[in-house]
Amino acid sequence: MTDAIEVAVTINGRGHRLTVPPRRVLADVLREDLQLLGCKIGCDQAVCGACTVLVDGMPVTACTTFAFELDGRAVTTIEGLAAGGILDPVQRAFLEHSAFQCGFCTPGMILSVKALLARHPEPDERLIRQWLNANICRCTGYQMIVEAVRAAARIGPG
Amino acid sequence: MDGAASPFRAPVVALDGPDKVTGAARYTFDVSLPGMLHAKVLRSPHAHARIRSIDPRYAETLPGVVAVVTGADAARLPDPYYGVAIRDQPVVAFDKVRYVGDMVAAVAAIDEETAYRALTLIAVHYEKLPAVTTIDEALAEGAPLLFDTPVAGEPIKLGDGLISLKEPRPNVLCEFGYAHGDADAALAESDRVFEDRFHFSRINHFHLEPHVNVARVTGEQIELWSCNQDPFVLRSDIARIFGRPANNIRIHASYVGGGFGGKSFCKMEPLVVLLAMKAGRPVRLCLSLDESLLTLTKHAGILMLKTGVTKDGRLTARKSEIQLDGGAYSDASALTVVKTGYRITGPYRWDAVATRAYAVRTNTVPAGSFRGFGGTQASFASESQIDMIARRLGIDPYDFRCKNLLAPGEPFRPGDSGIDSDLAKGLDEVVERIGYRQRVRSSAQGHKARGMGLSIGIKDGGGTGNHAQALVKLYSSGRAIVSAAAVEIGQGATTTLSRIAAETLNLPLDWVRYGAIDTDLTPLDNGTHASCGTVVTGIAVMRAAADARAQVLEFASERLGCTAAELALDNWTVRRGNYAHPLAPMIAEHYGGAGFEFIGRGMVKVPNDPKAPLTAASLFWMPSWVGAEVEVDRETGKVQVVQLVVGADSGRSVNAIACRGQVEGAALQAFGQSLFEELRYNGAEPANATPLAYRVPLAGDLPERYESFVLEHGGPGPFGAKGIGESGMLGVAAAIANAIEDAVGVRVTQIPFTPERVLAAIEAAR
Repeated sequence: MTDAIEVAVTINGRGHRLTVPPRRVLADVLREDLQLLGCKIGCDQAVCGACTVLVDGMPVTACTTFAFELDGRAVTTIEGLAAGGILDPVQRAFLEHSAFQCGFCTPGMILSVKALLARHPEPDERLIRQWLNANICRCTGYQMIVEAVRAAARIGPG
Repeated sequence: MDGAASPFRAPVVALDGPDKVTGAARYTFDVSLPGMLHAKVLRSPHAHARIRSIDPRYAETLPGVVAVVTGADAARLPDPYYGVAIRDQPVVAFDKVRYVGDMVAAVAAIDEETAYRALTLIAVHYEKLPAVTTIDEALAEGAPLLFDTPVAGEPIKLGDGLISLKEPRPNVLCEFGYAHGDADAALAESDRVFEDRFHFSRINHFHLEPHVNVARVTGEQIELWSCNQDPFVLRSDIARIFGRPANNIRIHASYVGGGFGGKSFCKMEPLVVLLAMKAGRPVRLCLSLDESLLTLTKHAGILMLKTGVTKDGRLTARKSEIQLDGGAYSDASALTVVKTGYRITGPYRWDAVATRAYAVRTNTVPAGSFRGFGGTQASFASESQIDMIARRLGIDPYDFRCKNLLAPGEPFRPGDSGIDSDLAKGLDEVVERIGYRQRVRSSAQGHKARGMGLSIGIKDGGGTGNHAQALVKLYSSGRAIVSAAAVEIGQGATTTLSRIAAETLNLPLDWVRYGAIDTDLTPLDNGTHASCGTVVTGIAVMRAAADARAQVLEFASERLGCTAAELALDNWTVRRGNYAHPLAPMIAEHYGGAGFEFIGRGMVKVPNDPKAPLTAASLFWMPSWVGAEVEVDRETGKVQVVQLVVGADSGRSVNAIACRGQVEGAALQAFGQSLFEELRYNGAEPANATPLAYRVPLAGDLPERYESFVLEHGGPGPFGAKGIGESGMLGVAAAIANAIEDAVGVRVTQIPFTPERVLAAIEAAR
């Protein structure tokens, strides 16, 4: 068995060469090796969606994604969204609509919405609700999140 | 400050918002200390067993393991038990385990994986004992006992004439009794008497940030970075358990990733301290969500109500017997029993009432605080029965409620405070918004039927006889720090308390920051629960800000050679007549150096009153008005909530958008519990204690139309505010049950209203 695997990965626009054990998951790489603590781990079994990050623009749960799978890919975390300190339209919509409470699900939720709007710039209510099924929020009752998504869709993807 | 001129009408961006949308927000989950070890807990596979022996030696020799803690270590502590009022839960099991998931031992190692592997090397020899997993089993004659001898602690203190007992009978943790008038006589004189029985299910808090604590022991000092909602309560427990003075205990709180009661009061924190002590290094214990599911639940229960009514629809008397399933250990059961029992009469006028409520010990996950704190159990049973009685009498449930509702100012119970809300107005608002008067009654043809239900939940808010302290520090520049122990758990305490200070000091909101919570520096409170933050902590903050303002004006009056009464504070200038004097240069000139800080102090104590049933008049009342429209499939029993309208009373919203979020968030938790969410048991084994199998509401579960509203009837808090955090939880389950009966003419008395239960009720009625 291989002890370590070389991975070339782009994280938030910067290239990284990582040496990772085969069992190491992306969430641990982000949090422990790169101090990208915005990636939150809730259930640790791909149910709650708190650890959602984008890999080549697709939402994945970092808690169940092996780091070795990322060779040649581009990862976006919540820290990579506000370019030059200017909030992404989705972040701005979440802020203006108070679409968060405790905030633990928020980074994953925002990245999930980012992926939604990239594919469906004008999602209807049904699609928004369906898409958000991948991200549990125990605080808000979802409605204010749905409103933020609608507002972000009007602003257009950043 | 009324109407459009009020600054509170302007929407605010939450002060914690930028951190939370950028990933910069730091939680206890993110705390890391140099040299920190990681811990894992060995949990009991048995519901009830005696620990014959436990051998940690193999685990201790595994490379990377630094410390193993077992009951032998805990037994040496000065006071190894915790629990609210009644203390029966050991820091880690020493003689017995009492539920599947009970903490048996813990390992601290260089990483979680090593700690986890070490757990498999701990040899435990159990002698299995018969278990009781339901209330009925626990109360049966000759049932096995969870505790062989009386445990430590005292019953909850109550007002004159009320009953509060500790361990009155086998497997009963505590009992509450309340009576006013002669309920038996009043029932005997009533035209009709109805007896009904309701079953309430067990749910988990499912906060996404698991329980997480980091402990460091340095010499005599114990430090904890904790996700706990109650830093000062925790400080007292750690001091008592480890026999150290409280000024050697230091608790740090960060943002909390959801709690809903699941992180209140002491739980696994002393175990983490014990590990750090033994290891001589900092230790982090982060539970998995699976373990959080085995740490605390909301109380399941059986509520039996006997209610009398005159033939023209006036309520006369209610006798209640409430059994709450407290699980294996006391946690907050003693308090929950009191509050459930007290709230069972609902928002109505009675000639007489008599209530008995008790917590039963079973070999299941301990039950404790959950948003609403007994109020949801009481509201479900009470508002279901009120509706059933109205329908049996042939009176519209709306009219029946209106006829019996407490009027504004009328005391909830004799000796308690008056209702500070217009209950009828809120109900009318629901009726209007949901279209109750225009509703289409269920049609006989087709297999789907629609119906509407109403309900009014109510609970006392702010905690009983509560108190809090606060500091407001004003820097030379006019920037301010609010220092109080209300933990930011998502409720918006950061913004609300800062806004109260900003308003009092006439400063821009973004000049105020909510300070870090550190029990060495932060003033004390009783914990972040009971919807107390805005009112109790809020009053302390307002007074602290007013004290700081007085100091500033005193200082300026000395500099300007006038009296403080001639001056007004406005955006960090003092105004005297037409002249504005900037404060920053005035302070710089006088003090020089690093400048100065005006430190305002504030505190509040809700007065004790031995004549009030709960030893203090309730600070405010939290109504919850709910209307639900459902579509029930007669063939499958599936209930679809088409409309859900939920209202609450904020007194006056200091942070309107956060109030809305609280109401909608709470109501959706109650919605989940009403329809599908439940921690189930299969015998003595939890059947679904894993995030994969434990189902919480998702966005796709939202009712087609989901609407909330907030009335502002005034309250005792700053600027007329009241707490609102738990309100939305209260009335939802009953409104849905009432709508189901409206639709298909059958009653479900057990939540969740699963298709199986609804179908069984429909078939039984055929």
